[in-house]
Amino acid sequence: MEVIPPIVLYILVDFSVYLIITLSLNMEAGYAGLPQFGRVLSVITGALVAGAIPGRILALLYGYPHGAEYASYEFNYRIVNELNIILEQSPLLSIGVFLLTLIMAMMLGAAVGYVTSRPAIRLKEAYLGITLLAMGDVVMLISLYYSPIIGGTTGVMVPDPFRWVGPYRFTAATLVLLTLSIVVLIVVERLTKSPFGRALRAMRDSEVAITVYGRDIARLRTYALIVGASIAALGGALYTFYTGGCIASTYTRLTWTFWPWAFMMLGGTGNNVGVVLGVLLFVIVKTFIVTYRGVLAPYVPFDPVWLEYTFVGMAIILIAMFRPQGIIPERPIFTIARKKIERIFTTLETPEEIRA
Amino acid sequence: MLPSIAIAKAVAYADSIALMAAGITLIYMCTRTFNFAHASFVTWGLYVVYAMTMLQGGSPYYYLPLAFLFVGVLGVAVYMLVIGPLMRRGASPTTLMMTTLGVDLVLLSTIQMFADFLTRTYRLYARRVVLEVYDFNTLGIPGITYVSLIIVVVLIAAIHWFMVKTKFGTAMRATIENPDLSSVLGINPNVVYIASWFIGGGLAGLGGGIASLAISGDPTIGSRIIVSMFASSIVGGLYSVYGSVLGGLLIGLTEYLGIMLLSTQLGGWILTYRPVIPLIAMAITLLIYPRGLAGINWGKALLRIKSLGGRTWK
Repeated sequence: MEVIPPIVLYILVDFSVYLIITLSLNMEAGYAGLPQFGRVLSVITGALVAGAIPGRILALLYGYPHGAEYASYEFNYRIVNELNIILEQSPLLSIGVFLLTLIMAMMLGAAVGYVTSRPAIRLKEAYLGITLLAMGDVVMLISLYYSPIIGGTTGVMVPDPFRWVGPYRFTAATLVLLTLSIVVLIVVERLTKSPFGRALRAMRDSEVAITVYGRDIARLRTYALIVGASIAALGGALYTFYTGGCIASTYTRLTWTFWPWAFMMLGGTGNNVGVVLGVLLFVIVKTFIVTYRGVLAPYVPFDPVWLEYTFVGMAIILIAMFRPQGIIPERPIFTIARKKIERIFTTLETPEEIRA
Repeated sequence: MLPSIAIAKAVAYADSIALMAAGITLIYMCTRTFNFAHASFVTWGLYVVYAMTMLQGGSPYYYLPLAFLFVGVLGVAVYMLVIGPLMRRGASPTTLMMTTLGVDLVLLSTIQMFADFLTRTYRLYARRVVLEVYDFNTLGIPGITYVSLIIVVVLIAAIHWFMVKTKFGTAMRATIENPDLSSVLGINPNVVYIASWFIGGGLAGLGGGIASLAISGDPTIGSRIIVSMFASSIVGGLYSVYGSVLGGLLIGLTEYLGIMLLSTQLGGWILTYRPVIPLIAMAITLLIYPRGLAGINWGKALLRIKSLGGRTWK
């Protein structure tokens, strides 16, 4: 029983998760100009943390198997069921586990971001893009085939920190996700307007110029990648908590790297508000295609679900060709209020003797 | 050690990867576009051969030229409709890369629809393409091994002849070196770019057609092996078609045979990690020698190897 219709919940969840990830991508690709084709790497890092660690900590605390056998499909669902009963009775423990996992996900995400920054300070353009893409693929493959982490191809269940809410579990979880995504939006917006964000834009537009002004490009890139990766890891962990399960094959480069790119390009590369709009539009259209594909099915000789790919692909091509700046173009950043600027100018223009 | 059939299959697979990588490199050299759509190009090549063999009958080999032509024309269409206009507007390499990804998604959806169409209309198992049964067999080795080797050798010779001996090839090399200067001399760079997309796309289609006989295919085969193609291209140095062919052969063989050798030593579990091998090869190349195989000065390297044994002091 839910108060909000499921389709709205579905849209809101997808919106929140993709908003977090697309904002992090916008910071690296839109502001810093890095060809981040390995977004899935940090998303999967967050998912790995959420899938592997909170359950193990709880299992350790309550005396269940917590080693490699935790992730085994024979034991995992039994252990997690027991843990969920414990969590259901203890809201405080649930919230604690939830927050702790998010913090750990962000920390590990930051570490992964640091690792990706090592090739990023040396390589450029296509080389860097392919390297990042390859790194994401390797981590996905290893977590898919090495079962002791998150159960490999069978996946694991994740202890549910929202269960104590009762029948409104999905609504509550959705609202938490939405709130966190708005927090991320505010943080990223502040960060990109800060001197750091402006330095990133300057680096994207002219590396020579920013070097002349005394900024270290290698350091700027490293920071951008660390912050972006830790935000994306947060998104991955949240998604895993929401779905209550974690399986590596969900985290393909198509859904977690290329789709965020499409969302970002539609909304407006280098504009966080544009990204919000882009993600919202895409998620709504995607959901409608998936929901109403049955209506179309009798008229076409194929499964209408493929139209989703056509739609995203066409959107990328058409945006790149006809509106490369996106729906809401990037705007110059005003750091202080206009009135204040005017006041400074008047003081500058007034002759010395009058000012005194 | 390894059964000869495995080596034969590995050679055929490596040949197909080499052709695909040559296409990626050619397109990158001419138009500075790192082509993600190559994944779907390859898959379309595979499906052209599959659909024609199933519907028209005969040997799959008859349809290899058709796969080359079909995907070559597809490549020209992609260039004329999308990449060309973007290049004239001065789009950045990252934008071009991203746009080819959009093209790839559209083409992937058309392949999926085509596979659904084949399944529903002609009752074919279009989601699991196996054409091995249509291949001939000589001396216990599948025919595709001989044919693919001959195709690679002949094509590389043809490309070399085309680039060095013909007037158009010279124009092409000039445009790769310096587009502005060559257009001053009356070369139309647009024609060169179209040619590069035709040949590059055609090589992808041909590689896909060969792959249909060497491995089993499905609509996502392209996006699974595209990392191998990129890796071959980068190992080859990204600025030389010959280097990419060499890189493709190297990656294809290590991937196919290396993992089999490892599995006999370490056990079967390692087989699932096969896609990691091209990535490792690529990482090593980028870390140690980013200019790739084509960037190595072979004469100098040989001298150095020779001198290792002889004189050590001056």
